[in-house]
Amino acid sequence: MDNLQELLHGFTIAVTVPHLVLMVIGVLLGILVGVLPGLGAPNGVSLLLPLTFGMQPVSAIILLSSMYWGALFGGSVTSILFNIPGEPSSVATTFDGYPMARDGRPTTALATAFGSAAFGALVGVILITFLASWVAQVALAFGPPEYFAVYFLAFASFVGMGGAAPIKTVVALAIGFAIAAIGIDTVSGSVRLTMGVDELVKGVSFVVAVMGLFGIGELLVAVEEEVHARAVSSKIDWGEVFRAVARLPRHGVALLRSAAIGCWMGITPGGPTAASFMSYGIARRFSRRGRHFGTGEVEGIISPETADHAAGTSALLPMLSLGIPGSATAAVMMGGLMIWGLNPGPMLFVDQKDFVWGLIASMYVGNIVAVALVLLTVPVFAALMRIPFVIIAPLIVIICVVGAYSVSNSYLDVVMMLGFGIVGYLFKKLFYPLAPLVLAIVIGDKAEDAFRQSMLMSKGSLGIFFANRLVTCLVVAGIALLLLPLVLQLTRIWRKPTSPAHETTSQEKVII
Amino acid sequence: MISRRALELSTAILTGSFGAAVVVSSLDNGIGWSSAGVDAGTFPFLTGVIIVLGSLYNLVRGALPAATLASVPVAITPTELRRLASLFVPAAIFVAAIPLLGMYLASAIYIFAVLAIPRHQSMPRALAMAAATALALYVVFERMFQVTLPHGALAAAFGF
Repeated sequence: MDNLQELLHGFTIAVTVPHLVLMVIGVLLGILVGVLPGLGAPNGVSLLLPLTFGMQPVSAIILLSSMYWGALFGGSVTSILFNIPGEPSSVATTFDGYPMARDGRPTTALATAFGSAAFGALVGVILITFLASWVAQVALAFGPPEYFAVYFLAFASFVGMGGAAPIKTVVALAIGFAIAAIGIDTVSGSVRLTMGVDELVKGVSFVVAVMGLFGIGELLVAVEEEVHARAVSSKIDWGEVFRAVARLPRHGVALLRSAAIGCWMGITPGGPTAASFMSYGIARRFSRRGRHFGTGEVEGIISPETADHAAGTSALLPMLSLGIPGSATAAVMMGGLMIWGLNPGPMLFVDQKDFVWGLIASMYVGNIVAVALVLLTVPVFAALMRIPFVIIAPLIVIICVVGAYSVSNSYLDVVMMLGFGIVGYLFKKLFYPLAPLVLAIVIGDKAEDAFRQSMLMSKGSLGIFFANRLVTCLVVAGIALLLLPLVLQLTRIWRKPTSPAHETTSQEKVII
Repeated sequence: MISRRALELSTAILTGSFGAAVVVSSLDNGIGWSSAGVDAGTFPFLTGVIIVLGSLYNLVRGALPAATLASVPVAITPTELRRLASLFVPAAIFVAAIPLLGMYLASAIYIFAVLAIPRHQSMPRALAMAAATALALYVVFERMFQVTLPHGALAAAFGF
């Protein structure tokens, strides 16, 4: 019951005029970056980050998280109306959303998507409300070895469940760690990995990396495919909106199952993209109308959308209570928390109650605001998609350049951002996942500190990671997840010695 | 035309050489255990080793005639390469020009060039958009958020 009281207190913080205005601004900006190809939630949030430095942390996080909700919704709009996923996590929505819209039911497709998305988000927020403070309480007793074990588990779950090629995930993770290590070492004070460039002493900001990897990289992928918007009508029939939402409870099983998948994938960092694909795949396998998937099935929209939003929302749970972000965007927000002077992790629930519960309450309100705004603005943003890409692309380049520069007024950052752009393009093209890379940049230092402190405690013996039951469980679970792809491959070879694996390729194509 | 295999190999070489650089560079900081605990270079050294090993694996997988690679032999067609270049080359020139021209002038010229030269927009419209971009940058950053963008060596020479 304590949680409910705290939540009510949170509502008194979140539901004030300035914060509601921030939510509206955040959601609208979010829909904008969600709709535009080449701008996504991670770099949208990092673009906004420098502008929040003067704000109260709770106002800043409300703005950023609202932008996240907006981007999640905006990505679905273009998936359904244009068959162009504005966000990687809404790719699975195109499979059934676009066919349904093309068949003359765009309102039904949009309303179904938004309705199930809102349900997924709601389940995610409820989970956070009841679980986050409990997890934080458990985590308060954590020492450095436990922390390192949790980080290890988080990274291992990317390898085991992220869906991309495991070794590519490992390489992406390790590169992120190496980038995080650049600059002054917080423990010894020595300068590391600057390769002779003095300016690198300040380190490489994750904002610069995100701007390049997601901004320029995504732009290069988009220009290569030459997006041409063949829109279906974007008129909203309000009666049909309510009828479509009223029909949702009939698909209760699909809704609950997808929400569960989403929450699981959000908390154990698998990310919204992996969640939506997994949910779509499972729905196709278990639905009685599985054969019709891909032609505009309702459950083909419900499943990825619910899981996408449930994962996106619950990705904030480990960020708040453990200091481990569950998705790339959550990683950027966590970077923001650290810049605002907050220490993400269980102490937030003790020291910063207003911040935590204000944020959680704002998630309830923010998602309602997002559903309302996205329905109202569908025609506006659909019109935006008709602006030729040749005009939008250079503008996004300028936004990324200015965004990278404004992080620390450094020209080197701009050059590095462009370099990250090439890396982002190559990685996307070859299905290296980007989310673990960003995560490792943001929490690499913390993971390293935890490791070194543990080593100090044990005087250099790795035995400390097996010293008590909790830490042993975490480490063993992590190792199991690391070995999972290997085991799966072996069983596949065992069963069918000759046939190559085709099932994962369609998912591999878009996992970032 | 760039084949998928060539792209896989060059990316693996790219990540591998980054890993090697990390390994070499972290040796300067010392690796292993000393009286002050784990040396500063240890963690980067380990990540560097992981990057190198992983890249080697990816290199070998890219070189082998694997079934998954055979299904997508071509990664980038000549048309796609041209489109990529048409976005990236002007962007790179734009970034290279910032120290000399400053953010405002460079971005205005950049917008004008990419819109007017391939004749996507008429001359006056491209000019208007270029001017509007520079003005918007100035108003948002210099005025609203008090962030000074680089003015460039040229402006400095004229005394701005």
